[in-house]
Amino acid sequence: MTDFIGHGEKEIKERILNPGEAKNKIKNLVSVEISGRIARECIDLGYGFFTPLEGFMKKADVDSVCKKMSLADGTIWPIPIVFDISSQEVSEKGIRVGDVILLTRMGNPLAVLEVEEIFTYDKDEMAQAVLGTIDAKHPGVRMIGRMQDTFIGGKVTLVNEPQFNPPFDRFFYTPRQLREEFKKRGWVRIVAHQTRNVPHTGHEWLMKGAWFCAHGEAPVIGDKDEIKLGTGVLVNCIIGPKRTGDYIDEAIVLAHQALHEGRYFRDDVHMVSITCWDMRYAGPKEAIFHAILRTNLGCTHHMFGRDHAGVGDYYGTYDAHRIFDQLPPGSLNIKPVRVLEWWYCPLCGEVTYSGLCGHTKERQKFSGTLIRSIIKDGVKPTRIIMRPEVFDVVMECAERYGFGSPFCTEEYLAKRGPVFVVPPLD
Amino acid sequence: MAETYPINIWINEERFEKLKAANLADMAVDRLGGMKVIQVQCTEKQKDKILKLFPMAKFDTATTKSIELLPREVKDKIFDITLKLKSIGPEVMDEFLKSLD
Ligand SMILES: [Zn+2]
Repeated sequence: MTDFIGHGEKEIKERILNPGEAKNKIKNLVSVEISGRIARECIDLGYGFFTPLEGFMKKADVDSVCKKMSLADGTIWPIPIVFDISSQEVSEKGIRVGDVILLTRMGNPLAVLEVEEIFTYDKDEMAQAVLGTIDAKHPGVRMIGRMQDTFIGGKVTLVNEPQFNPPFDRFFYTPRQLREEFKKRGWVRIVAHQTRNVPHTGHEWLMKGAWFCAHGEAPVIGDKDEIKLGTGVLVNCIIGPKRTGDYIDEAIVLAHQALHEGRYFRDDVHMVSITCWDMRYAGPKEAIFHAILRTNLGCTHHMFGRDHAGVGDYYGTYDAHRIFDQLPPGSLNIKPVRVLEWWYCPLCGEVTYSGLCGHTKERQKFSGTLIRSIIKDGVKPTRIIMRPEVFDVVMECAERYGFGSPFCTEEYLAKRGPVFVVPPLD
Repeated sequence: MAETYPINIWINEERFEKLKAANLADMAVDRLGGMKVIQVQCTEKQKDKILKLFPMAKFDTATTKSIELLPREVKDKIFDITLKLKSIGPEVMDEFLKSLD
């Protein structure tokens, strides 16, 4: 039991009915077809990714999250997790407090929602509180703006488990499965690396640097070639909605795995995983959310680089570092590893750390835009910038999954295979 | 001189051979970890026109002040004009834009 304690000192419980129970439970229920985001959040709630949440928030929690960055019971929580629906659908379907409704995705049953409260909340107020802006250019503001006018709060239980399609299936672990995996590997220190990117060596060094930080205090177990490290990097790729120009999901996941298979990380210090989450781009607040999510995955440390989960100029470069200093001690069960920048320095002759290298005039900063520009030209980067195995996998993914492009195109967004499906419940 | 905005054309072996053959290898500068690039300059007007003609392209205001994410075929064409005119100045983009009319 102690292996499964998540955020807020609460046990990670899966809320899933077995197929027999599920078929009975959903008989004669009013059903509501849900959006991709809500489907992903039902999955997260069902498996305990959002522990201690057991369902979509009620108004008291939403209000407290917006105003105090904590749940109504005081547990730190920075982002509202809400079920939105139109008031028209609520009245047409006669949905009332006390009902249980069936949530379907692409017509197939995914979860049941216990209707504990039906409420409204000012969406601008929510955006201002969480994102610090109501500027429609901010993607998180647009996401809140697209929500329907009414919210339902209540517990969620999966009645049907999603099936992840290749190549994602082997990277999807529930929080309980991940913790079991860490135990099997003997990992006691696990540092999370959040990503939506194909890794260049700057990312590789973010991970390596974070590993050093997490591992620094570890006792030495074993001797010579037999030293048991017990510290690992968990690459956690975020799977959510995509925009044109983003790297395709397949390339992100498989490129990180290529670092592993190319032996840039040993088997016993690195693993790749995916989690469904629709980025809010809430900068510092999203950093806290990521810390909570990875606490639930069983991580002990979380790497935060510059502009973590930011967008545009809405947040300062290191706001996501500073916010952790404002939390009451003991409110998180994970240590932030705050990292400045890694860059390439021609004088040092290596990828080096901005906090160490003094060649500020000569240094060459990594820029996501430049790397994308190189890949777009189909030019193989030097291995000190991007590992050849990574580049090759990205190009293979472009052919195999991306309709010729490693970046999302309109065609990819329209025709790509789904990351997961909700099968019919027979 | 008015400000100009570069289009980065990354140099692989094939492009480098062509540059050498045209005696233009010096045009390529070391940009990132030994990656070579030639930077074809656009005037403000050319930049705006390119961004309008190629909506997938992006003007990177934050870091590099360059025009990025142009399709590879477009860059190939610009590269060929560079070789022909032996230049990376705005006349390259003039000729490129003319070729689209
Ligand atoms: Zn240096």
